Amino acid sequence: MKFPGTCIVCNEKIPVNEIGLWAKGLGVKHEKCAQINELQCIVCGSPAGCPQCEFQENCDIPHVSQLCICKKCSEENDAFSSYQKLVNKKFPILNS
Amino acid sequence: MVRVSLQTSQVIKLMWSEKYRPQIISDMVGNEEPRAAIMEWFAKWKKGTKPLLLVGPPGIGKTTMAYLVAKQFGYDMIGLNASDVRSKSRINEILTPVLGNVSVLGIPMIFVDEVDGIHGRGDYGGAAALVDILKEPTVPIVIAANDDSLEKMKNIKKVVTTISFKRIPPRLLRVYLENILKKENVKLSPGSLIKVIDKSRGDIRSMINLTQSLINGFNPQTEISFEKINVEDGVNAFFKANSIDEARSVLYSMQINPRDKINAFYSSIVTSDIDNPTLAKYLETISDADMIYGKIMKTQNWRLLRYLNDILIKLYQNDDRIRYTKYNLSWPLLNRIRWDGAKIKSLSSVMAKKLHLSSSAFVSICLPYVLFCIKNKTLELELEETFGDIIEKEMELIQ
Repeated sequence: MKFPGTCIVCNEKIPVNEIGLWAKGLGVKHEKCAQINELQCIVCGSPAGCPQCEFQENCDIPHVSQLCICKKCSEENDAFSSYQKLVNKKFPILNS
Repeated sequence: MVRVSLQTSQVIKLMWSEKYRPQIISDMVGNEEPRAAIMEWFAKWKKGTKPLLLVGPPGIGKTTMAYLVAKQFGYDMIGLNASDVRSKSRINEILTPVLGNVSVLGIPMIFVDEVDGIHGRGDYGGAAALVDILKEPTVPIVIAANDDSLEKMKNIKKVVTTISFKRIPPRLLRVYLENILKKENVKLSPGSLIKVIDKSRGDIRSMINLTQSLINGFNPQTEISFEKINVEDGVNAFFKANSIDEARSVLYSMQINPRDKINAFYSSIVTSDIDNPTLAKYLETISDADMIYGKIMKTQNWRLLRYLNDILIKLYQNDDRIRYTKYNLSWPLLNRIRWDGAKIKSLSSVMAKKLHLSSSAFVSICLPYVLFCIKNKTLELELEETFGDIIEKEMELIQ
């Protein structure tokens, strides 16, 4: 970077001399932020399978809450209960 | 207003978005880390702790979160929105008693919603007064905004801890929605489910309302059933509906400007062939709707908009005499204004020149006398033949 900037993905500063990817009219982003992210399944902990997701076109991955649910876990019975249990386990303060 | 609120409460009982509103924090979906951060902030709160700013798009649970956390930690929440904090005097009037006399009010907590709605210069010191309060918090203060990148948020952001909420991933919304459908013992086709979720764009409240509208809907679950229906189809379907639930679904599907919605019902009703007592009843309802819209525009309190459909639903009578009409005058009258009006205008401009008057003065003052004189044959005007028809027509009407 010749000049400092703010990453359009994570909103953090990008200092001079660091590698940033810039596009006219869009802005700049960190190299790591430019990589295609995949959401994580909160239930099984594996990647959520974003490239095959039925909502791929309408899911703005960098701008959604980063914990999702994979296809397999979402198709199980009581998927929402499993989600809630795992959230409470991972973030015990939510259940305090 | 009492009558309205009673009916509203009856409607709310049926609304899934209210029925399935989270009761505790762990009932919520998505934004797990921000939720945990808020809980931590409350758990560690002591006098002087920086207030909390919750930022994120509408409908993802910022307000719900604030209410639930207040309930969970035993605070008495004082909820305000941007319209309450417009001026310095108003802010001080509401908040000074809370900040200065904590023991009398139990354990208060302040929640100011939609702070990004405060207008910079238009607000008489409101934003500055709010910043002053945020600098020295004696009680927990939580504020919420849809966007923190605005210039007017700069000063606020300096004195708060910001927690960002993001939209909820669509597949997680699907799991949440399927859970509701299961509890309601109803089903939605996979295509419709995906379309509802896509259309709601991460807004949970909108997603639930759309789904309920679709399930109770006037249309079967097709790919286009929950598309915005146009105003004409909407008004016609409303009066043709077989039940009040069906009519309500139609109203909710008419996602148009509220002013246009009120106007569409008004023009359709006044041009329909209905008896006077029924017309009076309908107009009373339109008047209620108009008043609430006027209040919204005056106070900019858009939360009141949720009551508009609950007022308009009173128009439902399964009355097939009413059909959508764009214009609020009858066709014979509209025709007369359009065609005869143009001719009268042309006549008046000719006569105004002859009499050294303005056209409007001629039409409003002289025209009736001129017509009488022509009729009594005491006046003969040398006019073009084209005016013959309109003069005869107007002479007949003058009787």
